[in-house]
Amino acid sequence: MKNWPWAILAPALLFVLIGLFAPWIMTHDPASQDYSALLKGPSGAHWLGTDYLGRDMFSRIIGGARTSLVAMAFVLVAALAIGVVIGSFAGYVGGKTELVLISVIDIALALPSLVIALALMGVFSGENFSWMSDYWKMIVALTLAWWANYARMSRAVVVAELQQPYIEAARVMGASHIWIFTRHILPHVLGLVVVYASADAGALVLAIATLSFLGLGVAPPTPEWGQMLVDGMSYIEENPALVIIPGLALTAVVVSFNLLGEAFALQKVPRAVRGRFLARKKAARAAEDAARKEVEA
Amino acid sequence: MTDAPMTDAIVAKGLKVHFQTAAGLVRAVDGVDLTVAQGAFHGIVGESGCGKTTLARALIGLQSATEGQVQILGRDRSDWARSDRKGFARAVQFIFQDPLGSMSRRQTVGQTLEEPLQIHGVGDAKARRARVAELLDLVALPATVLDRLPRSLSGGQRQRVSIARALALSPQVLICDEPLSALDVSVRAQIVNLFARLQAQLGLTIVIVAHDLAIVREVCSAVTVMYLGRVAEEGVAKSLFADPAHPYSQALLSAVPSPDPRIEATRPRILLAGDPPSPRNPPPGCRFSTRCPVVEPRCRETEPALRAVQHGGAAACHLADANIHAMI
Repeated sequence: MKNWPWAILAPALLFVLIGLFAPWIMTHDPASQDYSALLKGPSGAHWLGTDYLGRDMFSRIIGGARTSLVAMAFVLVAALAIGVVIGSFAGYVGGKTELVLISVIDIALALPSLVIALALMGVFSGENFSWMSDYWKMIVALTLAWWANYARMSRAVVVAELQQPYIEAARVMGASHIWIFTRHILPHVLGLVVVYASADAGALVLAIATLSFLGLGVAPPTPEWGQMLVDGMSYIEENPALVIIPGLALTAVVVSFNLLGEAFALQKVPRAVRGRFLARKKAARAAEDAARKEVEA
Repeated sequence: MTDAPMTDAIVAKGLKVHFQTAAGLVRAVDGVDLTVAQGAFHGIVGESGCGKTTLARALIGLQSATEGQVQILGRDRSDWARSDRKGFARAVQFIFQDPLGSMSRRQTVGQTLEEPLQIHGVGDAKARRARVAELLDLVALPATVLDRLPRSLSGGQRQRVSIARALALSPQVLICDEPLSALDVSVRAQIVNLFARLQAQLGLTIVIVAHDLAIVREVCSAVTVMYLGRVAEEGVAKSLFADPAHPYSQALLSAVPSPDPRIEATRPRILLAGDPPSPRNPPPGCRFSTRCPVVEPRCRETEPALRAVQHGGAAACHLADANIHAMI
């Protein structure tokens, strides 16, 4: 596991590429219904068969990848931005401001993200928010449920970096706070946060699917994997592929992003902490202990 | 910055730096008056915990003073730093004890040296590169180090880079916090010589915190001996070292080994008992009274003020100039 092959990045990359080029990959309009071909198995015309409205499953899976990718990107970028700004501000300013912000972050972290997102979706269903489409309600709800972890990490990095003597050195050189933050601290924050986000992306795709599965978020004509799962459930006996295919797609995306995150994290960790070095150190310590025991005996 | 040539580079008056800790108030620097003439190479010596690093940090404002003022080049330090941060940085620079820690581990030597120039908007990219090359030349580093990261440099090279960075803005005053203690003995001499050369070449005023007396004796023009947050003795380096008036300075100097084994064998030494008292709870009277080999009852009651002594400087001792070796 010391050096991950670059191939480990391929599944996540594939998902992103499929999402980006979905319109050119889809063989049919994912919304167009064909009542002459309901719940059909795979064929030359419909590679993965059709659903209960005769929509092409292959095109819907590909289209669903795009929906997930776009929604995930919105939420991830927004949550990351909010988290980095709030966390960095808390860490850099310190004092009472930090205390208040940390309390907010801790409260947000104490509740499961999905529960927060569901509660917010409930709030957004009120009259006051009717100007937002369901899709944007979902994006905003997930963003507000997702930022806290990034804030916590950003703050930790900022606090740790601020204690480094080179920050003092920069101050002696006459650097402004903005200079010190953007030039010296932000790169460290982004380095960590982006690695975390790469693994988090999978969880986010799952959360989007979950909300849609529950009937919140993405509205019906748009192809979405969580919705496809719900739709397919009623027809699971006639055509189990309707559930299996979106389920597999979701699983594949989650696993591929976890692998991506892991690969990034391992590349980030200093070589000294990696397995082989630790093993060698352990062995050396054991030998030392044995020698000491021998001397004592 | 200032036109008056006779202004002292640094004047500290009644400087106190106290830290509130869980265990009580730590008086790291407790009423220090310090005058550093322009163009001086001023050494601050003393054992660990005597407040010399805190003093250096307070001089440049890295540590806020509890009491007292610091004037640098005739201007009030805190006013100057507040109203003209960059101007202050161009005039006064600081060198840290740990050269590796004081540089970003992500920046190459070239980027590290260019940073102060960028902060101050000096020239365009080309002019800055020329200045960086000039700086490397000044500290005798080859251009090949430009693309290396600080951690891949040797200790001496790192300190040279940090010196070069401090010189990038052509400061008039350079304050160095134990710039030598992180270095091997063999490299120390080179860096000391570098300091001496730079001072002569650039007309710098250098304040150097050190605990290596041999080096201070070698290069410094003036010296301040600190003990437990106070000035024990100060004066012209050569005469102070030749004829130290304060028993503490005498003890410190007697601890410097001689490279000549014959001298070393017969060298008179004053051994101080115990550790310095805690700066949380300094003793009454003279702070050195708990360890002084020639302590008298009055030392435990009244604290001696700095007064002029034979070598031309000043010492804070009731018995200054007494022959301590004879008294033990």
